[in-house]
Amino acid sequence: MIIWAIAKTTMGDALRKKILQVFLVVAIGLIVMSFSFSSLSGFSTRSGAGTDLLLVKSFGMGLIALVGALMSLVMGVSLIPQEIERRTIYTVLSKPVKRYEFIIGKYLGATLTLAVNIFLMGIVFLVAVTLKAHWAVESLTATLPEMELKVSDVQVFDVKSVLGVVMIFLQFTVLSSVVLFFSVFLTPTVNFFMGMGVYVIGLLSTVTKTIAEAGEQGLTTPVIFLYKVLHIVMPNFDKYNITNSLLHSSEITNLTKYTIGMIIYSLIYSLVMMLLAIITFERKEV
Amino acid sequence: MTDAILVEGLTKVYKGRMGGEVAAVNDISFSVRQGEIFGFIGPNGAGKTTTIKMLLGLLFPTSGKAQVLGMPAGDIQTKERISYLPESPYFYEHMTAVEVLDFFCRLFKIKGKERKSKIDELLQRVGLAEDANRTLRQYSKGMLQRIGVAQALINDPDLLFFDEPTSGLDPIAHKDIQDLIISLKAQGKTVMLSSHQLSDVERVCDRVAIINRGKIVRIGDMNDLLSAGRTVITIAESSNELVEEIKPIAERITVDSGTVRIYVEADENVYKILDVVRAKARLLSVVPQKQTLEDLFVEIVREVRK
Repeated sequence: MIIWAIAKTTMGDALRKKILQVFLVVAIGLIVMSFSFSSLSGFSTRSGAGTDLLLVKSFGMGLIALVGALMSLVMGVSLIPQEIERRTIYTVLSKPVKRYEFIIGKYLGATLTLAVNIFLMGIVFLVAVTLKAHWAVESLTATLPEMELKVSDVQVFDVKSVLGVVMIFLQFTVLSSVVLFFSVFLTPTVNFFMGMGVYVIGLLSTVTKTIAEAGEQGLTTPVIFLYKVLHIVMPNFDKYNITNSLLHSSEITNLTKYTIGMIIYSLIYSLVMMLLAIITFERKEV
Repeated sequence: MTDAILVEGLTKVYKGRMGGEVAAVNDISFSVRQGEIFGFIGPNGAGKTTTIKMLLGLLFPTSGKAQVLGMPAGDIQTKERISYLPESPYFYEHMTAVEVLDFFCRLFKIKGKERKSKIDELLQRVGLAEDANRTLRQYSKGMLQRIGVAQALINDPDLLFFDEPTSGLDPIAHKDIQDLIISLKAQGKTVMLSSHQLSDVERVCDRVAIINRGKIVRIGDMNDLLSAGRTVITIAESSNELVEEIKPIAERITVDSGTVRIYVEADENVYKILDVVRAKARLLSVVPQKQTLEDLFVEIVREVRK
């Protein structure tokens, strides 16, 4: 009950943040605009329509990922410092609220806010993709009736797109947990850049892995060791980036297994971060 | 009976940026009895809020002992029985008064119908029933303070910490808070009141501690501390010789357009001065004055600073 009360309040507060609302509106606007994108090959051929859809899908997912990252960072960095600055934390922690309940409530609130925002962007994205596909089919059928094109031929709305959005959400649950941990002891500005650093390094996980495993010419042992540590410690955001695999016939053989694996990975990573945040916050003076 | 608050050798040291140390609270000891209103006063930065925060478990002492209702400060079970009204309390501004109180009720795990009736009762008590569904963004400072009071009463606490509860309030709201504290005392509650409004503290508190630069410089029953009084003798048509004659036994003498005011502490000196004055000047008035908490506070703080 206590955790849920804190989560609900955090979400209510975050959803009213002007900057998050601006991100959401801009993202939705851009996704809607992507409806008018067309590739160089146009609609004169079947492949042209397919390329068009791919463009809309890639752009949409990329945009949701970018806005999701910004939202996680902007919201996450102020989760604890803002409570202290506004002094709301005094009235809350002077009640019978355990500190871990406060941290979990804040995290849950942030995650729910992300879920709502990503859900809204996701819905607009999926509607845009579906409409675009129908439009492409209608256009091609009109110009080239001999093609006998069907909607299914141009990859209309499919589960894979939904899965792509879910993966985006999962990666930001992890990023939020990292930023929440930092927010216990860092100022919002420093935290923003730290969080961004973690996100970028996490996205470059394949690079750090290659260097850590194979080594690079001219790199000293300590540097290689540093890459190894980075690869182990940093969240592997690259693994969530399955847009290409989803859009071009999948490189991932068992998508269900992969998704479950990523859910477990996200849960474990977030739990570890929460644990660190709780331990640190237990001794934090407010 | 266990003391409501017991503090022994409590110290809070902050590390400065240049590696130095600053003792915000320095080896203080005091106790607050159950059912009393305890005033905790001091100049800005004296260590009042730091002490209260340590008692609430928001800050951790560097050394010393702090007990609240017989348990170590910060104990979660004890927090069921205490409450805190911070100076200028802030809440989530997007919420209405009902939502804010609902949130705090949930922190006490108060359920369903009980929660609703509790919220209605509190809103009535603090006079916000009419504005219950307005967001706090639209509230004045006084109204926010009333919400602060309401949240502090949710759990019907045995011990209340009030930190500057009347700061910046209009006279009506000010009086309401004073009356609330008096009614809490009548209900047998214990209140630790930190305030710069010394007339309030003098009016409602049973005992008072004065803290200055992290140290308690005076503590005691209000009546004992303020027992000392003075008499002001006002005369006219006096001479310089008369003033010089009185000076050694007067506490202070002021001269203003021919009117001389003589401040005297001891009663026997009052009679001595009156004997002298009767023959050499015209006596205008003899007014006994009770020392106020403000007088005492200013006197002590100045003395310590010297």
